Amino acid sequence: MVRRALRRLPAPVRSTLLHARGDYAPWEDGFDFLPPPPVPGEQPGPPDFVGIGVQKAGTSWWFELIVDHPGVYHRPGIPKERHYLSRFVTGAFGPAEAAVYRDWFPRLAGTITGEWTPDYLGQPWVTPLLAGVAPDARLLVLVRDPVERFVSGLNFRLRMGAPATSATVSDAVRRGFYARHLQQVLGCFPAGQVLVQQYERCRVDPATELARTYAFLGLDRFEPGGLRRLVNVGGGGPVSLDPGAADRLADLYRADALELARLVPSLDLDLWPSLHRGSDRW
Amino acid sequence: MVRTSARRLVGRLPDRWHRTLPSDLRADLRRRTGQSSPGDLAHRPVAPAPAAGERTGPPDFAVLGAADAGAPWWLSLVSDHPGVAPGHRSADAAHYFAPFATDRFGPADVAAFHAWFPRRPGRIIGFWAPDGSAHPWVAPLLYRSAPRAQVLVLVRDPVERLLDGLDHTAADLGAHPGTWLSDAVDRGFYAEQLTRLVAVFPRDQVRVLQYERCVADPQGTLASTYEFLGVETTHPARPLEAPAPAGGRAASTLDPGTLGRLRSMYAADVDALSDLLPEFDRTLWPNFAAPA
Repeated sequence: MVRRALRRLPAPVRSTLLHARGDYAPWEDGFDFLPPPPVPGEQPGPPDFVGIGVQKAGTSWWFELIVDHPGVYHRPGIPKERHYLSRFVTGAFGPAEAAVYRDWFPRLAGTITGEWTPDYLGQPWVTPLLAGVAPDARLLVLVRDPVERFVSGLNFRLRMGAPATSATVSDAVRRGFYARHLQQVLGCFPAGQVLVQQYERCRVDPATELARTYAFLGLDRFEPGGLRRLVNVGGGGPVSLDPGAADRLADLYRADALELARLVPSLDLDLWPSLHRGSDRW
Repeated sequence: MVRTSARRLVGRLPDRWHRTLPSDLRADLRRRTGQSSPGDLAHRPVAPAPAAGERTGPPDFAVLGAADAGAPWWLSLVSDHPGVAPGHRSADAAHYFAPFATDRFGPADVAAFHAWFPRRPGRIIGFWAPDGSAHPWVAPLLYRSAPRAQVLVLVRDPVERLLDGLDHTAADLGAHPGTWLSDAVDRGFYAEQLTRLVAVFPRDQVRVLQYERCVADPQGTLASTYEFLGVETTHPARPLEAPAPAGGRAASTLDPGTLGRLRSMYAADVDALSDLLPEFDRTLWPNFAAPA
């Protein structure tokens, strides 16, 4: 009830109240990264899979479908997004820090476990750390029409209380250069350990796409209920993209999308109509 | 009515009251009371009227960052030249293109941009945008507004630049550290930014300077900058010393593992920069003295 009441408040007021009682999200400064103690029967270890991207491309929906599988363990209460590795840009990352990360992944015997932090793909310092601490992890990436993702991601951040500034816009733009970020990942992990799927294709045919994900993770065929129950959808926001600005964004993203299609032959650029708009329209 | 009055009341509260609030809440209140700052999407400043004898128009040159790579210092040296108008180095002008990442940009917006550049006959004038390289929507809008502008970009050893950049943004890390860290890291991928820039501006209109060369040989580098800008290659009278370091951590203070990771992260981009710029001198960046 308290949480429901808090959700009705403006984001900055909400977060101020939550922070006053020591309640921080994993992506916020102040979050306590002390791992949860294992309960009987659980064993910690490196994650078997890590979703690394991208924000506002259905990752919460897809993560819930993955953990629905009986072969996957996810203890309730542990966040889907750990964000643990994001902080080590200039800080030392040694055996002690790696051990803390592994302790965030308790699992029961015979099951696999993992996380999905959508920010990781755009944080080039993370994948080398991940390759060191979980070299056998399978990496998952969901991508979405970058212009559509930009609008959705920007409005999401603004709803969450981010300032409506060029820095927030720049962050939203940056996240859409998928190929550039993926190339850096492929410098640290073999291509066979990385699965890139399209959000739009998952929406149209979730059963087939989920079967691909399960197979990639070494899981048996399984049909979870509520395949089409999307989570964290929509919500709108204060920014609507002017058609001319959308064209300029498409111009920025087009070369990167073509490169992504080269890296990921299964990618269907016809599913991203924003990139087919006429260029040089002002 | 009540809401408007409340906004007015909050807007009139003394600054010291606002400063007691957390920064997120303070910024939210500021926006809700109709106040905006340079860089805000809602900020649409109007240029002051030109003085008698001045005319406005597109800037003749632009300095597009990089942040924490000495661009303001270099621009101040360039502007000492008698053939260069001092220009508005205000944040309002520097962040002029911020709202147009998502908004329509038409002829009236081009004209409003030109109004920020008053100069007397016979002088050139520059536009300074510290985020100009890092924010990818800026270069296309600048080209639309000033297609003949000569573009200067200063680059600096990306590891050293990152450490200074992090130091500057540390105060903002509270809200969402990953975002600010990503921004600071991203600004050091110069080759990628330059590739986007020369996809918009003709290559011969773009000059990239190494900050370290500017520091080591300010006279010679300034002369070549003047030549690039088409003004007489005279030297300013005042001393040319570089400003004091910003106070960030030096790369040498990092533990070897972290420094190695940062070098690896930027190595491919530095190699690409070296391929793009024949004049690029690796020896000025000891962190990248040898190709990856």
